[in-house]
Amino acid sequence: MSKKFKVAIKRQDDPNGASRWERFEIENEKGMNITTALQRIAASPVTIDGKQSTPVAYDACCLEEVCGACSMLVNGSVRQACTALANTLLENKPDEITLEPMSKFPVVRDLVVDRSKMFNSLSRVHAWVPVDGYSDRGAGPRISQHQQEDSYPLTTCMTCGCCVESCPQFHPESDFIGPAAISQAVLFNEHPIGSFEADKRLEILTGNGGIADCGNAQNCVKVCPKNIPLTRSIAKAGRSATVFAIKQFFEK
Amino acid sequence: MASESSPSSQGGHHFLLRRLHSLAGILPVGVFLVVHLTVNSTINFGGEAFQTQVDRIHDLEPFLLPVEIVGIFLPLLFHAVLGFQIWFSGRPNVGAYKYGGNLRYTFQRVTGGVAFVFILYHLWHMHWLGESLGGARFDPHDAAATAALAMKESLFGVPLNLLYAVGVLACVYHLANGLWTSLITWGITVGPSSQRTSGYVCAVFGVVLGIVGLSSVRGFKTYEGAEVTVQHTDAEQHGDTEQHGDAGQHGDAGHVSASQTSSQDLQRED
Repeated sequence: MSKKFKVAIKRQDDPNGASRWERFEIENEKGMNITTALQRIAASPVTIDGKQSTPVAYDACCLEEVCGACSMLVNGSVRQACTALANTLLENKPDEITLEPMSKFPVVRDLVVDRSKMFNSLSRVHAWVPVDGYSDRGAGPRISQHQQEDSYPLTTCMTCGCCVESCPQFHPESDFIGPAAISQAVLFNEHPIGSFEADKRLEILTGNGGIADCGNAQNCVKVCPKNIPLTRSIAKAGRSATVFAIKQFFEK
Repeated sequence: MASESSPSSQGGHHFLLRRLHSLAGILPVGVFLVVHLTVNSTINFGGEAFQTQVDRIHDLEPFLLPVEIVGIFLPLLFHAVLGFQIWFSGRPNVGAYKYGGNLRYTFQRVTGGVAFVFILYHLWHMHWLGESLGGARFDPHDAAATAALAMKESLFGVPLNLLYAVGVLACVYHLANGLWTSLITWGITVGPSSQRTSGYVCAVFGVVLGIVGLSSVRGFKTYEGAEVTVQHTDAEQHGDTEQHGDAGQHGDAGHVSASQTSSQDLQRED
């Protein structure tokens, strides 16, 4: 393996600006990931043509795949930059590594995108446990070991955006809340106190942009860096939605 | 918030419409497809066996048309209109994400489109509704011979039986895969393991129905009661059928031809 490798980066100066590709060549290092590569480019932002450029803007935080900040398109598909190792990528595609911002969100600058739509979706489905701070209601109900084991994987969601980026049903013109928000709705509907608001969440899930917009392509579960059983959550939401809709019809 | 209005929203009935779309694809449209292909495959047991099945269906007269409209055409149209809306609401991305599920997702939309075009053509070609437009090759009173003759035609130089094979397979895939996704949509198969199992079951169902469908196409294509060359005009074709085919068993002297459009309704009454 050659000591140097090429990185092609899709750049954009501001949210409304045009995008352009810039190519850099950097020295390979042992265990180098994409975030490190971007740091090296920032240290000396000179393109392959010898043109002086600017450091590439990117998001990164925890560097251990738990915060979800560094999602981007690496070689055309979405993943976390921090766990994308240069050597592994070069084994599959030796000529160069391409980096692009996620395509389903507005670009802020270069590889930085605005994931507000995801957070809005979480607020739409009331992805929280409602707590009334005015009176002491005593200890909450116990959660069984079994339920804990079911719920824990869902709590690891970091709203990184990989699932919605890979979802053909989620795009700027769609109203779909996406797999992450559906999974969080399921998490809080199965929580003993969260379930107080279960009907409220199901009303959102059976509304516009809700569970009916899922097309069962199941990319979400394949790309999820946390291996969250998103398709199980979606099918669970589908089942609850079926029961909820029938109940609504007959109880109205 | 992006939630207020969007091109994909359908007021307060979004969920209901999508679930009705799922339901309509299985009941009645999917059930009809299974019955239709199974009935057609009886051609492989001879012209009379097929005629018996066709007669059983046409025994529904004079309620056949209302049953067709309410039981097939309207649900199918509803399924198709919403289906295209669903298709255009997505942005297929198999190029970037080459997963099996994603391929099935994209293929489900493509086969739906192919099926829609095929069914429109098939209605014109075989159903008496296509009569005024120069179609309506199928005569229920002379089922095997007319269907066999129709299957020997060609469209833009492509043998029609090949186009029918593609159309039938598109319908079958769309139903089998639709069955698999509907089990998820309605919340019946929840976990990955049950979804895998139902996937195998739906695949077997699809393969079997596909074989039944292809055997029908082949059965009509090779039916011996209609050894006619295709180059003739419509009138000549039908004339030849009467000589070689089993039209005699009904003794219909004024046998249907595309030029005798007005006589067919009378025939259907008797």
